[in-house]
Amino acid sequence: MQEENHGVWIFSEVPKLAFELLGKGSLLAKALGSELVAISIGPAEGNEDYIKHGADKVLTANDPALANFHVDTYTDALSELATEHNPDIILIGATRNGLELAPRLAERLKTGCVTEATRIEPDADKRYLLMDRITLGGNLVETHVSRVKPQIATVARGLFSALPADDSRKGQVVKVEPKIKDPSTKLLEKMPKGAKGVRLADASVIVSFGRGIREKKDIIMVEKLANAVGGVIGCSRPIAEDLHWLPEEQYIGLSGQKVSPKLYFACGISGQIQHLTGIRNSKIIISVNNDPKAPILEFTDYAIVADLYQILPVLTETMRQLRKG
Amino acid sequence: MVNIIVLIKQVIQTAELKIDKAAKSLVFQGVPRVVSETDKNALEESIRIKEKHGGKITVVTVGAPEAKEALREALAMGADEAILITDPRFEGSDSHAIANALAAAVTKILDYDLIICGAYSEDLFAFQTGPRLAEICNLPQITYATKITLDGTKIIVERDLETERQVVEGKLPCLVTVVREINEPRLPTLMSIMAASKKPTTTWNATDLSLEEDELGFNGALIEVLRSTLVSGDRKRIILEGDSKEISLKLAKALQQEGVLKVD
Repeated sequence: MQEENHGVWIFSEVPKLAFELLGKGSLLAKALGSELVAISIGPAEGNEDYIKHGADKVLTANDPALANFHVDTYTDALSELATEHNPDIILIGATRNGLELAPRLAERLKTGCVTEATRIEPDADKRYLLMDRITLGGNLVETHVSRVKPQIATVARGLFSALPADDSRKGQVVKVEPKIKDPSTKLLEKMPKGAKGVRLADASVIVSFGRGIREKKDIIMVEKLANAVGGVIGCSRPIAEDLHWLPEEQYIGLSGQKVSPKLYFACGISGQIQHLTGIRNSKIIISVNNDPKAPILEFTDYAIVADLYQILPVLTETMRQLRKG
Repeated sequence: MVNIIVLIKQVIQTAELKIDKAAKSLVFQGVPRVVSETDKNALEESIRIKEKHGGKITVVTVGAPEAKEALREALAMGADEAILITDPRFEGSDSHAIANALAAAVTKILDYDLIICGAYSEDLFAFQTGPRLAEICNLPQITYATKITLDGTKIIVERDLETERQVVEGKLPCLVTVVREINEPRLPTLMSIMAASKKPTTTWNATDLSLEEDELGFNGALIEVLRSTLVSGDRKRIILEGDSKEISLKLAKALQQEGVLKVD
């Protein structure tokens, strides 16, 4: 094992997520007596923001060929920088871009990678990271250790908190010019999607429903409750994938959206572990289900065991009055 | 003519897993093993490509000997031949070791234009096999495909990202990962199941793939799994009782105390 690996690096092409990684990275850097480095690839502006959010140093590569994310060029850039500087840790934002970059980068560096780690802590000797990830459809938590460094993990949005921006923080911005090859694919066209999925990931109140809603027209009941509590609606996987009542961007679960609202209502959702994994970062979970044995009850703060169709209209009215104050 | 390698994985049907609360462990007994859904989408897409352009589909899996069942299903769906990579020495593999074994198989097959697999497997959701394999084989990767069109050696792929859809153009040979919405996998018919039994299935072990001892399984893994524990619900589990009105008022009070509901 190389002893000289040093430094906690973070990278995300999404600034908000990069700041969250810096929040976590600053805790790790402190624990390990290490420096915190933000890798900024693409636009030159915004480098100071990384420092305000906790970076000691920013390595910035502003080659015009790196203006937009491409897995080829970004792997080239990051692998060259990592080979030159031997970081101890690289945290990468688990966007779809990040999730195709991290394993490719790890394979080039011949090191381990833990995708969508849920807990990242140094071991007792502060030599290796213990990285948890959830597997087997959300049933198991495995603790992984990378035998090789840099130790690479991807981190989902909303898992860690960013530090508040501190304008007085000082740091170093270092321009770097990694060699990159021409990308193997060419972007012909891009079409923005409806922002629904993104809104769900950022929502502070979500009212979600599953198979307990018997007909598509009954979704209006859920929408009314969502309105009353100032939230947005989501659903379980079968509602989107099998019944197509809502777009796929709106289902919550291990394979869908992972959400971290303050308040999560699960209406008529039995609580398949795959759904529970998507909601585990919620602050308060309320379930409404007529089955007192439904697995969701184990994962609930406030459980309502009742007929959805009777309780929802009453609950909606109560919530509406409550919020009017 | 397009020769396609489809990578599939046999997974346990995680939705069927039960928890033995007393033993604090998962009950695997009686849980069916199936082909991971996204890999079925990959196979379906390759069948559609073959129907249009002709060629051959080779389906490959790494797994226990029982994974032959998954290959049989793939042959029944429409693959032309199957390769099972199995060896007790693969025990303890991580995604690098698996990609390494697959790379050896792909290199041995040699004659291919396109490799297709699911973007993730339904049991682990690691998203690693495709990109790692592409890196080892020095192939371009095109991920999260929702549509694939071929034109000679040109490949046009629609991709699904969080906030946008992209259309990208690449060249064969390359590796493509697909997501569920790309298609609806067909069900095998009685005829196609019968026909599948006549299709060739080859079994390769580590030696057949010229893999060294230190590349295999636990020895070849870059990630070590220290421990695994059951996910527990760390929640209050308060059951609100009464009639609809009472329950609603109790919840309203609780949410006010929690400070989670914004009052306008």
